[in-house]
Amino acid sequence: MQINQQFNPSKGSWQCARCRTPLEPGHVALNYLENSFRVGVLVCPRCRQALIPEDMATGKMLEVEKLLEDK
Amino acid sequence: MDQNEHTQSLCPICLNRIPARRVLDGSSVYLEKQCPVHGDFSTVIWRGEPAFSKWKRPKWPSRPPVCKTEINAGCPFDCGLCPDHAQHTCTTLVEVTRRCNLNCPVCFAKSGNEVVDPDLNTIREQILSIRQSAGACTLQISGGEPTVRDDLPEIVSFAAGQGFALVQLNTNGLRFAEEPQYAETLEQAGLESVFLQFDAVCDPPYERLRGRPLWEKKKQAVTALARAGIGVVLVPTLVPGVNTEEAGAIIRFALSRHPAVRGVHFQPVSYFGRYPHTPADEDRLTLPELMCAIELQTQGLICTADFMPPGCEHALCSFHAAFQVTESGMLKRVGGGCCNTAPIEAAAGARQNVLLTGQRWRHPPAGTQLKINETDDLDRFLYETRTRSFTVSAMVFQDAWSLDLERLRGCCIHVSAPDGRLIPFCAYNITASEGQPLYRRINGQKPLTAQSKMAP
Repeated sequence: MQINQQFNPSKGSWQCARCRTPLEPGHVALNYLENSFRVGVLVCPRCRQALIPEDMATGKMLEVEKLLEDK
Repeated sequence: MDQNEHTQSLCPICLNRIPARRVLDGSSVYLEKQCPVHGDFSTVIWRGEPAFSKWKRPKWPSRPPVCKTEINAGCPFDCGLCPDHAQHTCTTLVEVTRRCNLNCPVCFAKSGNEVVDPDLNTIREQILSIRQSAGACTLQISGGEPTVRDDLPEIVSFAAGQGFALVQLNTNGLRFAEEPQYAETLEQAGLESVFLQFDAVCDPPYERLRGRPLWEKKKQAVTALARAGIGVVLVPTLVPGVNTEEAGAIIRFALSRHPAVRGVHFQPVSYFGRYPHTPADEDRLTLPELMCAIELQTQGLICTADFMPPGCEHALCSFHAAFQVTESGMLKRVGGGCCNTAPIEAAAGARQNVLLTGQRWRHPPAGTQLKINETDDLDRFLYETRTRSFTVSAMVFQDAWSLDLERLRGCCIHVSAPDGRLIPFCAYNITASEGQPLYRRINGQKPLTAQSKMAP
């Protein structure tokens, strides 16, 4: 499975706010309205907390949410 | 429904505003009203499952951003829109002609007899006025039959340059069938989607409703539009005793022409404009009856439970379901899983409707490909939604017998009147039992709202 680099922040060294561990590229499942989407993002190797960049949250993640919510 | 729901309506004879009630009788609901002069009226508005009491989508009212009229005589006599209207515009119709190349026995616009069209500059000004009042809504070029105008490409081109969410044409499709290059001409002018009158997949219903056998023409029109890359929505008018048994076959035909055919939008017959006789309850097809008919006639390919009440217009006006067509030709339901039943802001529902309608009713862009090394599940979902989307929906319009002013105040489909006012579609088209129009000028007949004596 390819990790989608465009979901990673453009710069900076990120660490987990909870356990202070440096984040690493990984995968998480986004679950919404009975659907599940596996995406590549930075995750904490210890607690699995993930960083969702703002452009992802306000971009295609929002677009998918609207489609699932329907009209 | 524990007790009757109170609303307001019009007398179908004098068009005066009168109180009305939605009355439950078994699994049916009737709109009952009494005119002090013309007596009692009762019209069926709901029959069967899903239950009327469960079909809700409450909304907080949203005042239109631009109001061209003031509150004076009250709803529905002040439309423009007035400050008391409760919803923004999602679709505006601009009528570019009153002429038509058919003379259908059933026509809500009662088109065909007038010969003088508004000139191109007048249409342009009207389109600019719509953009200013209604914002980046869907623009539907309508009539009459718009393709009888030879300058339609110029109208489409102008509309396409104004930043509407979607430019759509309302047509019977005859010219697309008869002139092979016509669809390409309009596509190059900027046409993105067509609302195609499509009542059946055989000739007899066309002979009854349109006065001519048109099945071959309809197939030719779909082929021409598909070749040109214009999204097609099939729009059947369903009339009990004529073509309500065609719903499943129409959906199957639509799927056989997917992805060019983006969906089917059913319109159960309403009785305004030109129609054969005063309707009885058996002349009406209610929304739940249609949902059940679709389930039965598609052998469960589409189920009643797939359908949702709308987040834009009033819940009693429509239903819809969105699907993805799988590679094996089956339908996978998309969306509709939201369990939040709290009231939504009406304008938010209108914005969402404009966004999704634009995405779903366009032809998928030619050559769209998913780049495998740049994709994840979100990309795949968005790609499949754009390319494999298929919608089934219905809207039941209100006539002088079924008009419910609560529904009218929540209307998001507006007609641009020649003077620039935006009039809710049903109000614009309503005619009294003897033909008196409320808003539309028909064959020189002065509409009620243009007369000095206004209803209370």
